[in-house]
Amino acid sequence: MPISEEHAGRTYPPSAPYRVSAAKIAEFAAALGDDNPAYAGDDAIAPPTFAAVIAAQAWGAIFEDDELGLALHRTMHADQRFQFARPLRDGDDVVATLSIERVRTRGNLDMVTVVVDLVVDGSTACTARSTLMHTQEDSNA
Amino acid sequence: MPETLTTGSVLPELRVTITRAGIVRYSGASTDFNEIHFSDRHARAIDLPGVVAHGMWTMGAGLRIVTDWIGDPARVLEYFVRFTRPVVVPDTDEGVDVLYNAEVKAIVDGVATVSITATCGDDTVLGAARAQVRVD
Repeated sequence: MPISEEHAGRTYPPSAPYRVSAAKIAEFAAALGDDNPAYAGDDAIAPPTFAAVIAAQAWGAIFEDDELGLALHRTMHADQRFQFARPLRDGDDVVATLSIERVRTRGNLDMVTVVVDLVVDGSTACTARSTLMHTQEDSNA
Repeated sequence: MPETLTTGSVLPELRVTITRAGIVRYSGASTDFNEIHFSDRHARAIDLPGVVAHGMWTMGAGLRIVTDWIGDPARVLEYFVRFTRPVVVPDTDEGVDVLYNAEVKAIVDGVATVSITATCGDDTVLGAARAQVRVD
């Protein structure tokens, strides 16, 4: 059975904690070509969109959920929203929880909105909300 | 922090060059190893003209137009983009440029809403891009 509106509201178990490190922050900021001093030194914070690195790892849950019939190679990232309560920092242990918020199907296209809650020490640091556009497998192929 | 902040303020334009080497670097840093970001063969298999940059790179690199202006990236409260067109990156030393522009749309209760545009050649690569930042 393919993904449908009935799957909205489904939540997956929290991920194992992801430890944010100064080295990873430096690597990510360099990859963005961003030399903002906030990303270096003691008390380094991560660039805001670093949250996507942890969120995208949590997306794995929906592709491993056989009931949904989603294939990563037929999926495009359509939009992305981040809401920040506080920046991610060197030393944070981040637990990611993925939920399916909304599913809309038009023809053979599924628009799946997923929300990843990134929690540090029991409080949400960032909410990453993404719309993934999934093309259903062509049954005539 | 900038001294004068008003609705309608235009932020300094940001030009970011992306090369194949840059994409490889972002793949490693983000752990997104989708083949369309390093293999023309895989990119063409899904009807792309060739290797494309990560949408998240286009989003992340572009936020600098806002964070260079406000200084402290911890002031970013919200950031949204729609990925409208991929950034196709040729296998040349020069790569390709993405041009970002931004304008302050509103300032309410110490929070500025900034709209951002991103173009690569004639293509608009981000749509409806907006950041909300604390400016008080």
